[in-house]
Amino acid sequence: MPEPDQAELPDFCRKPTLILGCGNVLFGDDGFGCALVEYLEAHYTLPQDICLLDVGTGVRKLLFTLCLSPVRPRRVLILDALDVGRDPGELFEIAPEDIPAIKCDDFSLHQLPTSNLLRELEEQCGVEVRVLACQTASLPEEVRPGLSEPVLRALPRAAELIAARLFPAPSGARREGSGG
Amino acid sequence: MAKTLVIQPVTRIEGHAKVTIQLDDAGNVDTARVNVIELRGFERFCIGRPVEDMPRITPRICGVCPWSHHLAAAKACDAVFGVEPPPAGRKLRELCNSIAYMEEHILHFYFLAGADFLLGPSADYSVRNVIGILQAAPDVARRVVRGRHMCAKMLETLAGKSIHPQAAVPGGFSKPLLPEERDQLRKMADEALELAKFSIAFAKENVFPKYLELVKSLGVITSGFLGTVTDDGALNLYNGKLRLMAPDGSFEDFPYDRYTEFIAEHIEPWSYLKFPYAKKWGSFSMDLDKPGGVYRANTLARINVCDYINTPLAQAELEEFRQKFGRPAQLTLLYHWARLIELLYNAENAIRLLDDPEITSRETRVKVTPRAARGVGCVEAPRGTLIHDYETDADGMLTNVNLIVGTTHNNAPINMSVTQAAKGSINNGNYDQGILNTVEMSIRAYDPCFSCATHRLDGKLSVKLDIVGANGKLLDSFAN
Repeated sequence: MPEPDQAELPDFCRKPTLILGCGNVLFGDDGFGCALVEYLEAHYTLPQDICLLDVGTGVRKLLFTLCLSPVRPRRVLILDALDVGRDPGELFEIAPEDIPAIKCDDFSLHQLPTSNLLRELEEQCGVEVRVLACQTASLPEEVRPGLSEPVLRALPRAAELIAARLFPAPSGARREGSGG
Repeated sequence: MAKTLVIQPVTRIEGHAKVTIQLDDAGNVDTARVNVIELRGFERFCIGRPVEDMPRITPRICGVCPWSHHLAAAKACDAVFGVEPPPAGRKLRELCNSIAYMEEHILHFYFLAGADFLLGPSADYSVRNVIGILQAAPDVARRVVRGRHMCAKMLETLAGKSIHPQAAVPGGFSKPLLPEERDQLRKMADEALELAKFSIAFAKENVFPKYLELVKSLGVITSGFLGTVTDDGALNLYNGKLRLMAPDGSFEDFPYDRYTEFIAEHIEPWSYLKFPYAKKWGSFSMDLDKPGGVYRANTLARINVCDYINTPLAQAELEEFRQKFGRPAQLTLLYHWARLIELLYNAENAIRLLDDPEITSRETRVKVTPRAARGVGCVEAPRGTLIHDYETDADGMLTNVNLIVGTTHNNAPINMSVTQAAKGSINNGNYDQGILNTVEMSIRAYDPCFSCATHRLDGKLSVKLDIVGANGKLLDSFAN
């Protein structure tokens, strides 16, 4: 039976592993993180100690809550699309300190630098923070949902990477007959 | 005489705002133009979709205020289908709205608004260290943390665990509230009220006195205001009629579906984003000395347009606010104060709704049938009046969509504030490096929402500022 205080905390604070799919699904490849969450939910049985969330463009608010929470996950994995000049569809991992440093003003929730929050979470709160990123092919200027071919093909590879690292067999095994 | 320049709309705004300051022959500011990034193509993307998809899709527009889009979309669907949700459905939606507001307002005041209070335009902004605040003021921080968690948990209980709201549906709300859940929430709502009371007392003692100087020194523009009120003029953030107030305090009220009779959208050749204005006040003008049709929408606007607040503690605060600042109050940064009055209102409102016996009724939705129709749904989002306007064919597929979000209402005022700030900072061709900060601060004072923009992990308000001479030559370019 959880402590009364703990019962008041949302799941994303309480579970030891938190995976957050980030992105704007309205803008092509920017929706990679959200698509990956959907893919994981469809093709894998998640272990009980994992909280998997598609947070869209609302990651900052959640990270903020985590920074302030008395109870936090042991590790946070961010799934996101980035444009850093690699090959479209290429998967790579970065730590918070590798996220490009920019002038750190934070006067609106919309502009609160996620990079700062991730660093704080790791350096001050002792949470292990990683970003699993996919290089975008291109980003549309107007609303146009749908991933490009290279990024679409990266989904199963990314899911396998995550499963291998975070889902202990057999509970995290890919479901049979779950389709392509 | 400055040359007339033809400026094409910026096709890809780098960052969130592109500002162009045009100087005249003497090196003083002729005009300043703010191009704010907007969600292009969204309306076109919706055409042909089933209208009931909209409460599910539109929260994706904004990761910060998804509930606002979710509820406005659900209401527009109600209107298209010609139905009214049952009382429990309406009240559950309004309860979610009040809780989402509290979560947002608490966060904004304690951790984000401070910079505008404590730093000036040329200060070197340092990192707002969340944990540092926690350490510096642990008692305050503990209360705030608890308040936020409770709001998150309350929304989870009411509407499920998904980050993207799904509980509001055309015709009502998808699941009833159980009595035992209501009892849990009721206790939490009491604590939220204590935090709201504490917050406004804390601000009036420790924060506002210091910042009133800054409030007065950061340019004031004169504008009208747009907000929502009930039939008898009370503040309401979920439902009511729209009230458009002129700078002199006179106003007109109208139902949502007549908004186009009162609000027109002006187009400038240099911007994709339109400029809503009050068409009955005359022709549109962003002239600082003689503005035409310009109005603001946000917490300050709502506090200004309402006659009163129908919860006692917030009403007492409103009376004090009006004694100090009048009605309508024009000082831009007063929106921080207005926000705390709203926080208090929302806490009292949540308690009132939870105490209402109808809130646990099992009847939370009515059936809907597709038909060809137009429906307008509107809520007050934290940053301004949010309008969802849909038209459907006989099968309930969308044939037309128009959205006006809070930041769009403020497009003209933002331009005016930046122009005013620029005029104050540039003289005979002289300006200093602080000009970018000053421009940024004027934009930020509107708390604009750029969340609809392609998000970036290093997300921040990025402003690109160009200063252009009378001959059209680019003199200087700043970016942050």
